[in-house]
Amino acid sequence: MIPRSQRTELALLLFAAALVGFGAALVCLGMGFPVWRVTRALAVVGAFIAGAMMLDLADPRRDRWLLPIMAAISGVGFLLLWQLDGGSASRQIVWMITGAGIMVAVYYLIEDVRDLARLKYTSGVLALVLVGLTLAFGVEKGGARLWLAIPGVIMFQPTEPVKVLMCIFLAGYVADRRELLREDTHRVAGFQMPRARHIAPLLLMVIFALTIFVGQRDLGAAVLFFGLFVAMAYLATGRKSYSILALVLFAGGAVGAYHAFPHVAARVDMWLNPWADPENRGYQILQSMFALAEGGLVGTGFATGGGDTIPAATTDLIFAVGAQQFGLLGAVAIVVLYALAAHRSFSIAWRATDNFGALLAAALAVVFSLQTLVILGGVTRLIPLTGITLPFMSYGGTSVIVNFIALALLLAISRDCTPHRPPGEVLPR
Amino acid sequence: MNELARAIRRVALVAAVGFAVLCVYLSWWQVLRAPALRADEHNSRARDRLRTIEPGEVLDADGEVLLGVERGREGWERTYPAGRYVAHLTGYNDRSGLQRGLRDALLGVGRYEKPWAEFIEGPLRGNDVKLTVDLDAQQLATRLLRGRRGAVVALGAQTGAILALVSAPAYDPARILDSEWDYRLFQEDPELPELDRALQGLYPPGSVLKVMTAAIALDLDRVEPDTTFECAGSYEIGGAKITCPRAHGKVTLAEALAVSCNTTFARLGEYVGGDEFIDYVQRFELLEPAHIPLPALPGKIGDLGRQSDGVLLAETAFGQGETLVTPFAIARLTQALANGGTMIEPYLVSEVTSPAGHVVASARERVAGQPVSAGTAAQVAGMMVGVVEEGTGQVAALRGIEVAGKTGSAENPHGEAHSWFTAFAPADRPEVVVTCVVENAGAGSEAAAPIVREMLTHLLRRAGVR
Repeated sequence: MIPRSQRTELALLLFAAALVGFGAALVCLGMGFPVWRVTRALAVVGAFIAGAMMLDLADPRRDRWLLPIMAAISGVGFLLLWQLDGGSASRQIVWMITGAGIMVAVYYLIEDVRDLARLKYTSGVLALVLVGLTLAFGVEKGGARLWLAIPGVIMFQPTEPVKVLMCIFLAGYVADRRELLREDTHRVAGFQMPRARHIAPLLLMVIFALTIFVGQRDLGAAVLFFGLFVAMAYLATGRKSYSILALVLFAGGAVGAYHAFPHVAARVDMWLNPWADPENRGYQILQSMFALAEGGLVGTGFATGGGDTIPAATTDLIFAVGAQQFGLLGAVAIVVLYALAAHRSFSIAWRATDNFGALLAAALAVVFSLQTLVILGGVTRLIPLTGITLPFMSYGGTSVIVNFIALALLLAISRDCTPHRPPGEVLPR
Repeated sequence: MNELARAIRRVALVAAVGFAVLCVYLSWWQVLRAPALRADEHNSRARDRLRTIEPGEVLDADGEVLLGVERGREGWERTYPAGRYVAHLTGYNDRSGLQRGLRDALLGVGRYEKPWAEFIEGPLRGNDVKLTVDLDAQQLATRLLRGRRGAVVALGAQTGAILALVSAPAYDPARILDSEWDYRLFQEDPELPELDRALQGLYPPGSVLKVMTAAIALDLDRVEPDTTFECAGSYEIGGAKITCPRAHGKVTLAEALAVSCNTTFARLGEYVGGDEFIDYVQRFELLEPAHIPLPALPGKIGDLGRQSDGVLLAETAFGQGETLVTPFAIARLTQALANGGTMIEPYLVSEVTSPAGHVVASARERVAGQPVSAGTAAQVAGMMVGVVEEGTGQVAALRGIEVAGKTGSAENPHGEAHSWFTAFAPADRPEVVVTCVVENAGAGSEAAAPIVREMLTHLLRRAGVR
């Protein structure tokens, strides 16, 4: 007999499969694909189902909601990608299956997620090395230097793994120094500030990362890392004043960047008034808005196109295509799926019995939420549009695999940092 | 629950607020702002959808088709039955002329944005637009301007209806997109056929602006029509010398206008003063671009308030200096003087008719302002009659109908003077205003006045005056 929690997860996964399968059938009809190709979309959800089963072979005491939610998001994203670019879609299936495999492997390999705390400096240094390598040897694609390549072997976007490495570093560092950061303070200009020697490594990491990302013209990543830092500073100290101070600094930095970097100014100007240059710089955001408007309340339906006029429709702006085809109802449904996934990740964090586990889960949840909000806010013109992927929906190997690793970490935290598992207990194998 | 967990919950709450705001924003674009975005001119989806709508026709005042539509190989295509005579009105593609300016009306934008419109409303068809212009007047003006560069503007003196709006050289809108070569020739033609000289041509007004200077001085009670001036043939001001072709001797203001005496009007400018002059320029809306759905340019004038020596004011007062205006603005000025000082907002579209035959919009006369008093306007009108009866504008005289007019020969850096004439008739109960400019054609009486006479004859007959 399968335990109740496992049954719920399986039922939800099968529900996601049914949903995606139904959508895939409509896409096949609409695009004139043979119906047996529905299996391609099912393979994406199938990767999650198989992954879930294999995870349970290791230890079934884990979160039961994240996998079905991510399966639904990935499946819907695949349905869109499939219509836009068949070649990317085929590769995405491979990435999804590989990613699910890596997720299982990570889950197996980490005997106790609390051990990762010891790797915090290794992670931090590795993150800096990756960023530094990109700056030195990065390959430029579309105006930003984001790709790192060993010619003929591998090519990936270091921003993605750096996200996870930074989460491990920040969680480990803050878990270690939380007491010091909170108690050993002094007054600076009316603010209770931690001593410089406690906060310096944190600040240094963040300033380094920000400088490099602004230098690399990867504004989305810069915002992401800054937001992660602010959140971690708040979790470390419990003081809202730091967050407010940081946001003031951010506003100042944003104004400075606006005046210092033409590419930042261009982004902001096109956000404020895309109609000033509708055929060039304002083109992307206008196309995104036209797609949203075209969708209206109920959408234009599956396989009705919409991606051919939108730049980066398969990656950063895939949500705009979804909003056109599924309308406001579908778009809100997708946002709700992301919100649920974020909620689930945060709840793993606040249930964790261990500070490191809680902080790591919170950091991963912040990165996930912020990344989603930054790109969806950009697509809807809530904030300036910056290039960043939408987790589990956008096409891209690095992005998919790193998201699966983050997922594996969250699941491992839900497994290890629970009252059932005191530190030092060895897993039954 | 420990403190860290509480802090994490607060961070989660911030994220939740973010997702909620996102949903609100999605609703804003996808529902509330969707109709405007669906009709946006840069929206290629809208363009594809609009291509399935049969666009409406543009008709002249008598219902003659100026811009037609037919089913082509690739959807609806425009036809140009009136060709070059209305080229600047119709434009030559959906991004020029009234096809751009009246795009929403011609396509019925606002009725067809819903995806299910076709099921409910049947085949999609836009509105027909009826203009105030008369095709015969357009043809006449185009023929009169043949071989020249210039423009003709005709307005209803009491209604503000635009009766003719012609720019020369014109072009055949049906032909220029035939091949890339044709389009290239059109674009690179040194005569600038695409330029609508009536609304976008910026010319020094020359002596036609003297009617405005006279009106300002009279309106401010600085002079009377019989105030006398002494013209010695030249007049020195601030080190500059203003000259007349000959010494006019002792003249009244009326006589000075009739013979177009520069020195008198230079003095008149001094009497008025720079600030008052600019004030009246604004009241006559001389620098305003035309408020009609066609591309139009604003005029320019020198900075009279800041000048020290008064030379610029003196030159501006007789229509030179740094002044540049459109023929349309001069026609409006003339209309105000013809209509007892009341300026009517000119209009080009008289009616918009839905495919079902309902009039969905129609023009209403709207007073734009009262730049000068009725008394002043009558005095200036009387003086303008003198111009045609015994002054420089005698060429424009009509048998049996009193014409009021003013000539202008605008000196410019591009060669011979631009020939101007602006007039209205009948002088006692004005029906029609006509303004004409012919580039580099010499004195106003030579090129522009005969054209205005022919236009007046036609338009007055049409108005039933004769």
